Amino acid sequence: MEESVPKTSHIERDIIIQIEHLDFWYLEGENIIEDFHISIHDQEFISIVGVSGCGKSTLLNIVAGLLPPSKGRVLLRGKEIKHPGSDRAMVFQDDAVFPWYTVRQNVEYGLKIKKFTPKERSNLTDHYLNLVGLKDSQNLFPRQLSGGMRKRVDVARAVATKPDVLLMDEPFAALDVLTKERLQTEFLNIWNNNRITVIFVTHDLEEAIYLSDRVVVMSFQPGRVKRVVEVPFSRPRDKDLKTTLAFQNIRRDLGHDLIKIEV
Amino acid sequence: MESSIKERDKKNYNYLWQIPKFIVPLVLIIIWVVVSKLELLKPIFLPTPLNMFEAFVGMQKILPNAILTTVVMTLTGFSIGVAFGTASGLIMAYSKIVRETMGTIFDFLRPVPVFALIPLFILWFGIGRAPQIALIALGTSVILGVTTLEAIRNVPTIYIRAALTLGANRQRIYSTVIVPYIIPHLIGAIRVAAAASWGLDVAAEFMGSQQGLGYLIILQQTYLRTAGIILLVVIYSVLALITDTIIASIESRITRWTERRTSIGVVASIVGSK
Repeated sequence: MEESVPKTSHIERDIIIQIEHLDFWYLEGENIIEDFHISIHDQEFISIVGVSGCGKSTLLNIVAGLLPPSKGRVLLRGKEIKHPGSDRAMVFQDDAVFPWYTVRQNVEYGLKIKKFTPKERSNLTDHYLNLVGLKDSQNLFPRQLSGGMRKRVDVARAVATKPDVLLMDEPFAALDVLTKERLQTEFLNIWNNNRITVIFVTHDLEEAIYLSDRVVVMSFQPGRVKRVVEVPFSRPRDKDLKTTLAFQNIRRDLGHDLIKIEV
Repeated sequence: MESSIKERDKKNYNYLWQIPKFIVPLVLIIIWVVVSKLELLKPIFLPTPLNMFEAFVGMQKILPNAILTTVVMTLTGFSIGVAFGTASGLIMAYSKIVRETMGTIFDFLRPVPVFALIPLFILWFGIGRAPQIALIALGTSVILGVTTLEAIRNVPTIYIRAALTLGANRQRIYSTVIVPYIIPHLIGAIRVAAAASWGLDVAAEFMGSQQGLGYLIILQQTYLRTAGIILLVVIYSVLALITDTIIASIESRITRWTERRTSIGVVASIVGSK
């Protein structure tokens, strides 16, 4: 595992998630994930990239507590993760917004589980609706919304519970390119003002580099940490960053890594 | 946007398409009148329109009470059956202990045709309202129980995973995810159960009722009054139609959040939308 010259700002912060020598298999002997080991720091935005089927979604599900590790463990602030919970909220690739609730009721869902007074809950819900720009649509049902709007509801719902870690499993992959880029920029703005640890899984290299502090390249069969790359760009990041030479150099570099994996 | 679709539907209300609705019933009535006039069939098989009218007049006094009895009994049995069936489906899915202990017995008893239990019920409970209502309830609960269980098994896992990562526990997932999701899927079963409950009521009343429409049918049959029997069957049909229409209108209100099928376009013509 190689690391390029480290940027110290996030490493100095606490380690929030420790993935310790993680193995995962459905059938013994066929490791999907093998000896995956990494430390993730507080308020760090880290992406995991890899080809389809390399196990990155499986990894995220294990961190979420939806799947048990076959070997090794995942620690959240030093405590082993065993069940899913709102401290690790997740945004999925597919539409997970509850169709039988309005936008407002969806965003409120996690808040209802926590012990807030109705007034506190209402204020928080308003806050997160405004954050994603859905205040005016709050009484609509998901079937009346576009894909991009539904994704915003998803994000608002997940961050409303103030999780320790936000897990995102290719959240924008199902959207068209224009909506996707808009949501990337919007999400980055939200994140800049509300710093939270994010583990972002994607197969889109540019997305990973644009959004993250670090990018982890995951190998294929078995899934291991192949390489960790520091993203040197300061924040806030310009949306035209993707077209700069420095950005494209990093992208090309990572692209070669992925091609090596596929071959 | 939705109101303009309704307006467009009103404009397209093709009066020409209303004609097929009446053709078949009209033709059948014409055949009936012709056959009666020409006396092609014995009145015991096919009563004449006059016979029907006479039968109606003859039954006028006792009809309201009979209808009331039947309706009350059927709706009671239906309600109990739906409630019990849905609840047992939910409990079976929720609790492994219940599933393991009660599962095999339910699997064994479920296929037994409810009508076959009638003689047994008479022996056990005698003649009275309670066993009749129990029969109707039993029949409808089987329909609802199976449908509920299957509907729960088909809840898309993504909703459950999302709820888990938002901090929901098992009980909350059932009440806020599973139950809302399956309600539209249960409506179909409820309509079937409603129709079945009328049939079950007839059978139940044959068990020894002294008051309802089914009882009247037996009475008419002993006096060979075909016209009366047909009249009573028609009344049953009307009652079943009314309940079905009521359920259908509730359905459209409850399924507001599901992906609505439009009533225009190619898709609508393929899936038989109105």
